[in-house]
Amino acid sequence: MTIGEPRTAPRTGPADAAVPDARRRVPLIRLLRAEVRWIFRRPRTLVVLALLAVLPVITGVAVDLTLDGPVTSAETGPGPGPGGGPPIFVTMATSAFVLPLGSLMTLLMMLLPLTVAMASGDALAGEQSHGALRGWLLAPVSRGRLLAVKAAGVLVVAFVAALLVVVSGLATGLVLAGTDRLVSMSGTELSVADVLWRLAVAVAWATVYLMAVGAVALAISASTEHPMLVVVSVLGGLIVFGVLMQFSALDWLHPYLLPTSVTGLVDLIRDPVPFDALAEGTIRALSYLVIGLSLAYARLTTRDG
Amino acid sequence: MRPRTKAWVAAGSGIAVGLTGLALSALPAGADDDPVLPEIGAEELVTSALEARPPAFDGVAEVTNELGLPPVPGAEALDFESVRVFHDGAESTRVQIERPASELTFVTNTEEAWAYDSQEHAARQLTWDEDDAAAARDHAEAELADPSRAAAEIIERLRPTSDIFVDGTASVAGRDAYELVLTPKPSEKTLLREITVAIDEETRAPLRLEVFANGTTDPVLSLGFVEFEVGAQDAELFEFTPPEGAEVESAEADDVAAEAGKHGGRDAGALEERTTTIGDGWDTVVIGEMPAEARSGEAAGPARELGEEAGALGEFGGGDQDLAGMLEQFGTPVSGEFGSGVHVEIAVGGAIVTDDGRIAAGAVPRQVLVDALDGADQQ
Repeated sequence: MTIGEPRTAPRTGPADAAVPDARRRVPLIRLLRAEVRWIFRRPRTLVVLALLAVLPVITGVAVDLTLDGPVTSAETGPGPGPGGGPPIFVTMATSAFVLPLGSLMTLLMMLLPLTVAMASGDALAGEQSHGALRGWLLAPVSRGRLLAVKAAGVLVVAFVAALLVVVSGLATGLVLAGTDRLVSMSGTELSVADVLWRLAVAVAWATVYLMAVGAVALAISASTEHPMLVVVSVLGGLIVFGVLMQFSALDWLHPYLLPTSVTGLVDLIRDPVPFDALAEGTIRALSYLVIGLSLAYARLTTRDG
Repeated sequence: MRPRTKAWVAAGSGIAVGLTGLALSALPAGADDDPVLPEIGAEELVTSALEARPPAFDGVAEVTNELGLPPVPGAEALDFESVRVFHDGAESTRVQIERPASELTFVTNTEEAWAYDSQEHAARQLTWDEDDAAAARDHAEAELADPSRAAAEIIERLRPTSDIFVDGTASVAGRDAYELVLTPKPSEKTLLREITVAIDEETRAPLRLEVFANGTTDPVLSLGFVEFEVGAQDAELFEFTPPEGAEVESAEADDVAAEAGKHGGRDAGALEERTTTIGDGWDTVVIGEMPAEARSGEAAGPARELGEEAGALGEFGGGDQDLAGMLEQFGTPVSGEFGSGVHVEIAVGGAIVTDDGRIAAGAVPRQVLVDALDGADQQ
């Protein structure tokens, strides 16, 4: 095929026909806006985002309800701790600090990566399967820019999903416990601003982590036309990684596995925050990101329209 | 460049960069070469280490433990990932023991000490009388008034049974350090091969302790800093206010001492009487009678070695245990002139619990314990 034929990308509107140069380069921002609008118009995106927003609420309310039960009996029992009633640390699980972080960590294990994988699958393989990608490939958009737009779309999904989980957890925590129990694991009380700062770090970190999953998913997405295959591959990969991480004999391998990083989020509950594990997780995620994107780029540039 | 070539280049370089990044984050920082430091004698090193006041620093310490402890209650006190230590250069310290999903925090300043366990959400406070504290400080300082004499005394005490020398240098937590080595004389019948202490060249603070047992090249116990940064610390770190809702238990140091004196003093005195030591130096065997509540005899030993943090940990982690059942599971039966009992051995030592309720323990092989028990009977 020839790149640069006077055709327009679908959904981006006609380029200015009067200026040939401008027709060759559609403004990136407009492509991006179109892509994002397209993503959030898909019902499945909205459904999974709604699910992500509801789960922290369910967790918070469920923990709160179970606490109400045994707490009364624990007062007559041998006190908190193993044996009598739940350890008091559990009650902190409903706080506006631990609930969002805990929900984020739990969901990062499976549901959040799958959300991102779904978006990546739709981005290339999905469009290929119903012919929409052909228009992109023929449009005056270079393959590199196409990948950039698609990756940015996935990045937006990753960010929105992580933010949604944390905001939902934060809101639930505020309703359940107010600004009480904003306590770090080191026993220091944290100010609201401090908590918000830590949650912001968590969202940023989770976005990078999810983007690493998204990049690998994009690479798969670029080489198939079945979006289902992308989601299944990511799911399979996560399960295989999970199994590998169970074996202590494979200790040496664990630092190479992406999900190893997730436990680093626990450090945000410590005070002062040790950033070592988070930084290591970021490097790991960026490594996966580079590998994924370069493979996706290689596959996309050699792909025929 | 043709698209296909470009694709290959992109894929190849991307994978290379990614794998390099993974390898960098996965592999531990390469062991630095041993630094070259001015020569120093053992005595001089010990003197300077005693003389030095710990600087203000923050650091991360890690423990590796190949002791082969049986999984008894109390041993989980040693199950933690790393310890963060903050010290203000004077008397205030903050120690945070990080466990996978909880943390133990100890804060000591001039007026009080706090211990907080996030698992239990419980805090303990210990306060003391300023005069007593000052007196205790003076006493401690007087003891070390002349570090060179104190060092000479320590070395003199060790010399009959041990060789003590400076064995080159090491890089610990990125800092240059001397390795002070203590090895048993050949006549000592011990399971231990050597104990090394890495002492920072600049601040003379001990950075790492390693214990080696016979027949292994890796240390069976290593406690040392992996990060050590000298510098002023935030004063807020050394204040502790128990978080809202935490269970707080307060005690006065005097009261605790008095309580211990009243309650445990009798026991302690009796224990003193009931305990005998046989041998000296590395092959010392301690023979005692099992305390009624049979608290973690074996596990408490290494815990004590880890210092006060672990000591307090033991308090947190201690629980009921079925000692007899544990012994049967992990021990081997042994008998001699003293009668019969069960022998339990870990990498650095062993203990025999006799059927009539005595314990003989030491960093020695089984036969030495048996001989000690036999010898004790004849006395």
